[in-house]
Amino acid sequence: MKGITSPQAAGWLLALIVAVLLPLFTGGYLTSILLLIAAWSIVAVSLNLLYGYTGQLSLGHSAFLGIGAYALALIAVKVHVGFWPAFFAAIAISGLFGFLIGIPALKLRGPYFVLVTLGFAAIVGVIALAWTGLTGGANGLAGAPRPTPIPLPWGGRLKFDSLLNMYYFTLFFLIVILFICHRLVHSLIGRTFIAISHDENLAESLGINTMWKKLLSFTISAVFAGVAGALYASYNSVISPDIAYFTRGMDVLACLIVGGAGTMAGPIIGTFVMTAIPEALQIVPSLRTLINGFILMLFIIFLPAGIAGGFKAFSSRWGLKSEERRHGAP
Amino acid sequence: MALLEVSGLTKAFGGLTAVDRLSFSVDQGQVVSMIGPNGAGKSTVFNLLTGAYRPSAGRIVYDGNDITGCKPHRSARLGMGRTFQSTTVFRTETVVENVIIGQSLHLKTGVWGAIARTNKARREEEKVREKARSILDFVGLTNVATRLAGSLTEEAQKRLSIATVLAADPKLLLLDEPTGGVNLEEIGGLIELIKKIRQSGVTVCLIEHKMRMVMSMSDRIVVLNYGTNIAEGTPAEVANNKQVIEAYLGARRVA
Repeated sequence: MKGITSPQAAGWLLALIVAVLLPLFTGGYLTSILLLIAAWSIVAVSLNLLYGYTGQLSLGHSAFLGIGAYALALIAVKVHVGFWPAFFAAIAISGLFGFLIGIPALKLRGPYFVLVTLGFAAIVGVIALAWTGLTGGANGLAGAPRPTPIPLPWGGRLKFDSLLNMYYFTLFFLIVILFICHRLVHSLIGRTFIAISHDENLAESLGINTMWKKLLSFTISAVFAGVAGALYASYNSVISPDIAYFTRGMDVLACLIVGGAGTMAGPIIGTFVMTAIPEALQIVPSLRTLINGFILMLFIIFLPAGIAGGFKAFSSRWGLKSEERRHGAP
Repeated sequence: MALLEVSGLTKAFGGLTAVDRLSFSVDQGQVVSMIGPNGAGKSTVFNLLTGAYRPSAGRIVYDGNDITGCKPHRSARLGMGRTFQSTTVFRTETVVENVIIGQSLHLKTGVWGAIARTNKARREEEKVREKARSILDFVGLTNVATRLAGSLTEEAQKRLSIATVLAADPKLLLLDEPTGGVNLEEIGGLIELIKKIRQSGVTVCLIEHKMRMVMSMSDRIVVLNYGTNIAEGTPAEVANNKQVIEAYLGARRVA
């Protein structure tokens, strides 16, 4: 990947090796945790594109996660199509909702936009819970399918019936989405996103159609969150309304802030830390929100740039090249 | 030929009429200065011209297009560039990145091109980088190209804000106090830059308070007071206009 200098490249490679090899040596429980980390990382990466790089804070990404998950299950169960058509339809629907909500919401700026995203998430959450005929309500919805096996060119088929394979499947999408984000952010289009995040008025005065660029970022972000939702539904087979509950959107934001918004590694580091700490300490679920809230507070006060952001500042002070000097040399 | 023609332009904020039936025109290739006491409505006029504010009444015709009420990115696309009174650059980006962002409105690479890094996208990036270098050379910022914009001196930031707008190839450049907040010794360099821009064929309209600068470099001057133009003409005409002397210059001479 261009634009990443060697210490970073080494870090990514190491992370990839660990992510691929670790589940081979651990039990199923840990693999399922890793799978969830990968899935929630995708949501954090999608929020990072919107918030970290375009400056638009959405508290409602749980909505797109929910739409992706429910769309996959509903299409597969009610329309009786195979996994792949249902999967692509689900992420398209999530993106479509992002586009349609984005048109009115992104006309608003700052806190007003944040409130609209929160309101949208609340509506989706209520629909998931109350429209029993469609979503099964609080009982949840069963029957989200696993991916249909893919025939391999050298014979045999790639099956997704095991937990390990589902983990690799999720990891694959995380890597693809990270790669797409990396390319986008470091492109000329990405620079217009970053310009908007710094100063929307200045960006607009330079001829950047800020509304359209924000809508583009929002829609792509919704598509990615939808992918995470569909992957989760496929893995878990049963989905319940809490996937679309708006507090999940807050959790994603917390992960992003802890890891470092506006950095490539931030969303993954943050999701890992925020999932691994409660897991390692064997904290009861009801205390998790409390602990996560405490961690978030510490970060906002002492390291607002997050782990990756803090590391970046630290390394640039010590003369190491940093990733975010985007093609700085002329 | 008039590049910009403003007629009956009015902007009311509630009960306050900031700009009141203002009419003036800017000819191609000229330097037109807008002067007037603080609060005369000069910056509001710029905001109306670029579309940051919607006019309450009146018409703005630019380069043959009626752009009244157009969004800022539309007027920028038609070739109207502007800088802001409070120096605005992307502070946490490098100088060269600022000028690259300034070229965004010419961007042709789409989402697919960006993700796949097609040859077309690479070539465009190469071109954009090349152009950024030549613009930095033009404004004299080549030696600080890789510095963060926020770390530059006020004067260099003014240059950078002009460079960023120039990157969009404007036909009309609106400069809101291009020497505001800059040390007196450094103003000469900025004046030279504005003259150079004008020589390159860009029409310039600027808001300024520094009288000697305005008188020496303007082809025409528009004098604003209480949101309306009380005089318009060559520097000599304006300097001898009775109303202007009373409203503005007179007070200075006494002081």
